[in-house]
Amino acid sequence: MKIVIDRPRCEGHGLCEEAAPQLMHLDDDGELVLDREEISDADASLANAAVRVCPVAALRIA
Amino acid sequence: MSTPIKRVVVVGNGIAGLTAADSLRESGFDGELTIVGDEPHPAYSRPALSKALLLDGDDMSSHELPPPTHGANEIRGVRASGLDVERRLVSLEDGTALPYDRLVIATGSRARRLSDLPEELTLRGLDDALTLRGRLAASPSVVVVGGGPLGMEIASGCLAAGCRVTLVSQGTPLIVQLGPYLADVFVKAALDRGLTVVETGGARLEGQAGDARVVLEDGAVLQAGLVISAVGDVPNTDWLADTGMVEKGVLQVDSRGLVRPDIAAVGDPAAFPTPYGRRRIPLWSSAIEQAKVAAAALVRGDEAPPLRFQPYFWTEQFGLSLKAVGYLPVQGEPTYVEGGPGGSSLMRWSHDDGSGTAVALNHRIPIPRLRRLSQGTG
Repeated sequence: MKIVIDRPRCEGHGLCEEAAPQLMHLDDDGELVLDREEISDADASLANAAVRVCPVAALRIA
Repeated sequence: MSTPIKRVVVVGNGIAGLTAADSLRESGFDGELTIVGDEPHPAYSRPALSKALLLDGDDMSSHELPPPTHGANEIRGVRASGLDVERRLVSLEDGTALPYDRLVIATGSRARRLSDLPEELTLRGLDDALTLRGRLAASPSVVVVGGGPLGMEIASGCLAAGCRVTLVSQGTPLIVQLGPYLADVFVKAALDRGLTVVETGGARLEGQAGDARVVLEDGAVLQAGLVISAVGDVPNTDWLADTGMVEKGVLQVDSRGLVRPDIAAVGDPAAFPTPYGRRRIPLWSSAIEQAKVAAAALVRGDEAPPLRFQPYFWTEQFGLSLKAVGYLPVQGEPTYVEGGPGGSSLMRWSHDDGSGTAVALNHRIPIPRLRRLSQGTG
């Protein structure tokens, strides 16, 4: 599975980074960087938590 | 909690109920999970309703959330009507009774209204937002009653839609929620964009269907094609009236979100312990954090960690985007960490107890960094 980001939607809240700092972070400009696009089964619940917390639904799992 | 948990019912299908359902699964609950919501829609993002959804040209998807993965039996469009805590039964308005071993109450809140007039629109749910969008196109003038963040966001959306907008506020808009310094910043931006602000001690709606008007404290009357009120919320706890659990409309919970060992309450109706006493904090990230903690507590009991919550609040209106970590309102002047008055900036207020509130205005910043800044370690 993969995390996909919808860039125009992302408002840079960064709640996803709080939920899953192992998988993503916001850079100095506040742009979201996916550190690992391919998600192992072990990290699936982390990835789900990050996707769920986004108030503008800018992330999804594919 | 030695008896195995076979059935969990979550009442409420907003972000609190959805997160509770997800978190129950993450905590290892693999039994029968049922989630009941009174709206026909799948769970959606409520903050988007008064922001992007009022503005997005033809893109009507800014509120949509990814589909749930909790694998619950989802019952939509049906309201819960009662709870028997002794027999552990939730009754629904269609006559169904749902038995549970553990229960999550996540029924949210509804808009407080000033009248029963059909002309008074409120904005709380998706249907409200779609109705409002439709009505704005045909309404050259709008009166918004309520100077809180929601009223101001609605006023901003109506202005952007091309309406003449009058905002009626008890005192300076946003002063109660944000404090005088930030309220001043927002009111200036609103006036610059053409908002008319009317301050009054109190307003009421009068008239009859087809002829509603807003009457101010001094008797002055405002007429508009459309009246939208945003004067607070009322927790949806009426269905729990017979349980003895509701105090002044609110459910008091412990630091793990529990009303009692087998019942959790999360989101808008729950008052949980904060440094300022037990409080409701009806915000997006509050609902999510409460739901995670409470779901773990229902499954794992006292082993589950208590809530350690620091509020995160954001608003977008009149060309300003604010993100705040820490308790609001803030008093006095901020320390500017980056930028300065009138532009993109990062501010901090210190409180007497050593904590702080960090605010980013038109400034993209990762929330973890804003959190560190609020704690004085940024």
